[in-house]
Amino acid sequence: MDIVGKRGWLFLISGILLVPGIVFLIIAPGLRPGIDFTGGSTVTIEFADTIEQDDLRNKLAELNVDDATVQDFGGNTYFIRSKELSETEKNELVEQLKAGLSPGGAEVLAFDLVSPVVAAETVVAAFWAVLAAAVGIFFYVWWAFRNVPSPFRYGAAAIIALIHDAGAVIGIFAILGVVADIEVNTMFLIALLTVIGFSVNDTIVVFDRLRENILAAPTRSLTANVNLSISETLGRSLNTSLTLLFTLLALMLFGGPTLRSFLLVLLIGVVVGTYSSIAIATQTLVVWEQGDIGRLLRRVRGQSQSEPAS
Amino acid sequence: MLLVVVASLALGFKTVSIGSFERTGDNVLGLKLGLDLQGGSHLVYQAVLTNDAGERITPTADQMDSLRRIIERRVNETGLGEPIIQTLGDDRLLVQMPGVGDPGRAKSIIGETAQLEFKHRQLNVPVPVDLDASQIVSVTIGEFPAPSSKSTDELIEGAETSTSSLPQTTVTTTAETSTDSGAVSSTGAGTDGDAPEVELSFLLVEFTDAGAEIMDGVLRRMLESALAVVTGSSSPANTLQVDISGDEFRTMTLPTQFVARVEGTNIFGMALLSTAGRPLADTIEATNALFGANPEVDFVEIYGAFDEDVGLTGDELARAYAGTHSASGLPIVNIEFNGEGARRFGELTQEIAGTTDLLAIFLDDEELIAPGVTQAITGGAAFIQGRDFTPDRARDISQLLEAGRLPIPIELVQERDVDAILGADSLRKSVFAGLIGLALVLVFMVAYYRVPGLIAAVALVIYGVLMLAIFKILPVTLTLSGLAAAILSVGMAVDANILIFERMKDELRAGRTLLTSINIGFNRAWPAIRDGNVSTLITCAILFWFADTLGATVVQGFAATLAIGVMVSMFSAIVISRTLLRLVATTALSTRLSWFAPVGKKFLPEGSK
Repeated sequence: MDIVGKRGWLFLISGILLVPGIVFLIIAPGLRPGIDFTGGSTVTIEFADTIEQDDLRNKLAELNVDDATVQDFGGNTYFIRSKELSETEKNELVEQLKAGLSPGGAEVLAFDLVSPVVAAETVVAAFWAVLAAAVGIFFYVWWAFRNVPSPFRYGAAAIIALIHDAGAVIGIFAILGVVADIEVNTMFLIALLTVIGFSVNDTIVVFDRLRENILAAPTRSLTANVNLSISETLGRSLNTSLTLLFTLLALMLFGGPTLRSFLLVLLIGVVVGTYSSIAIATQTLVVWEQGDIGRLLRRVRGQSQSEPAS
Repeated sequence: MLLVVVASLALGFKTVSIGSFERTGDNVLGLKLGLDLQGGSHLVYQAVLTNDAGERITPTADQMDSLRRIIERRVNETGLGEPIIQTLGDDRLLVQMPGVGDPGRAKSIIGETAQLEFKHRQLNVPVPVDLDASQIVSVTIGEFPAPSSKSTDELIEGAETSTSSLPQTTVTTTAETSTDSGAVSSTGAGTDGDAPEVELSFLLVEFTDAGAEIMDGVLRRMLESALAVVTGSSSPANTLQVDISGDEFRTMTLPTQFVARVEGTNIFGMALLSTAGRPLADTIEATNALFGANPEVDFVEIYGAFDEDVGLTGDELARAYAGTHSASGLPIVNIEFNGEGARRFGELTQEIAGTTDLLAIFLDDEELIAPGVTQAITGGAAFIQGRDFTPDRARDISQLLEAGRLPIPIELVQERDVDAILGADSLRKSVFAGLIGLALVLVFMVAYYRVPGLIAAVALVIYGVLMLAIFKILPVTLTLSGLAAAILSVGMAVDANILIFERMKDELRAGRTLLTSINIGFNRAWPAIRDGNVSTLITCAILFWFADTLGATVVQGFAATLAIGVMVSMFSAIVISRTLLRLVATTALSTRLSWFAPVGKKFLPEGSK
């Protein structure tokens, strides 16, 4: 199985996966930040009477609730996002909605408030958390592969795969933010960090086989070793991803709406993470091993018009 | 030999697991649930402290501690569940109130700025009741009318309950008498119960509507103060002093249970009993004769304790700190006032010194401590000592005084309220979904990996039990994200098993015996499992730190759960799966090699069964 030889195609697939997301990220509005990152309030409210989403929107506009957005959670339950609401403002809003839309009553299922100060801190902390995770993993992989030639490259390749996976998830959410109003919040961040953990975990399994094969046959070419290692770990990679997908899908289908976007991140992350171990992490090693970029470019030009996504 | 040891080891582990299972029970609700699963409020407050130049400064650890105590006091007073209050970082305070549907009341109380006041407490201060003769319609002496005896009973009984723990011992007599609607059976206190039967006389005063309203107010105050006495305040309960003048002049001092309004009328009945429980005369007739035809009455309410506001507040307090008395070595609380405060404190102590009056110190309108004063203190520095003072109590008081001296304004920066029903719903759905996911995984494992898959399934179940046990023992607060992490870590546990089985399969294919394949498979798979899981643990540690910075307990729960899950999954794969596999390898099953490899014989060398 010559996977290394087909890496141009693999890079092309990654490119197709990443580019639209990056485009959506760059053009406004990019990711749709939730109140965790901007400050504001959200109210999850269940109405006793059947109401239309448009009526709710109009009512909110009528009540002058600034920048209010509404999401339908099903079962007459709606998720309203607005500027920061004080306790009195919230009660007032709920009373007005009851009076105007649902005389049968309404119940606030959940209420969240985040001040802009905390939101700004979250953004900063999130940045540092991702950076710290990447640096920690880089050094660990470097150290774990100290017995093979150029262990530094393994660390770097793991990070490149990690950035690839995080980029793919963020890009997909940028698109979802535009088409489906899906917001990113602290839970998204947790999910992203989990994906990073999984991505590296998966990469390491392939690297571990490569380490073993290189130590067993140091004279064999890296390309051959990479090919061998990938085909030897393919079964495991697919099986692990499948079992994870089973659990995630079950949670998504039966687990209620609260965790849905969290699970979506993990779902995308598991697929992309498995793919990147084969298509990005190990291929980066080969690209690096084979030396100059010029030769890489020649090879790529010879095979396809794709550009390496890494 | 080795096998026997390993096998007994395995049995040992199984027993441990089963034991833990019995301890945890099969009830998920036996675990500590986070606010998102049980419902409640998660509030984060920020201390907003500025220096004289108006710049924001970080409060000291002591100040944050005072703030925490003061808020703990306030939230506890509301009686809203069992709040968890802790400081976060340098200047934040986390308040968690499980199971509180509407945190509005608690929030308004928490948000108040602390109020420290020093007041002059005077005992037994008479205050004229604001009634004049024009509001009194008639005054008679007779038996207590009972238009609706039931409600009268309740009224009197209510008073009886509230006063039964009062030092006065004569309470029961009135209640008994009134239930008999005036039929006399009073036993005067101190007469050992064999006193002659007497007829109890009531002073019946009919008021105008306005007058009745004023009397109601007086009764309410008296009842409240009586209840305050019952709940532990040291000052005596308010009493009503009635001066009756006619042929004879008598002053009656009546506790709250001696006075009641006749239902549906403007008539108030007052038992004519002395504080010792003795009636003025044996019969109504005799009592009437005592005062003559036209008795007149005058009401004076006597406050059990009256706290006079002297305008001395936390603003004038310069410092409060705990210490020990230089001579006796007992714990004391030192207080120092600033210039203006020292002057007022001097005046106040001058007035109090040598009397039974007290220096009452109030925090948020709640009495903190009320010491007596031995001498006038003019220097502005004093100390408080108490017989019940421990070093801890002295420190508590000084910290609360400090909190009131320099109130730290706080603002709400984060709130997360979850309805209990929504929480329960999330829990139920997630557990259900998790079980379905787990079942799918188990089916897949058995279908693909056969005997090893079955063993992995058993190991996974043991893994689940271990996780539950650890959750309960530590205890880990189970949140929605923690539940997701637990399910994710099942994936990790499965992965470890898959890694091992794939390696085992390779060894079997190379023609090794089952037992050798198992051993080599485990050894070969170990570095991958180790390195992969360590990188996950690194991510967990960073998440945990991240959560700590933000006070996001939800994130912390996730990280902690995932970390525990990863570690237990390593244990389950390396110890439990391996031991079980080796056990099976010694049985007759091991002759059917094809049962140990996925997708049948084609991977196996020629000639194997």
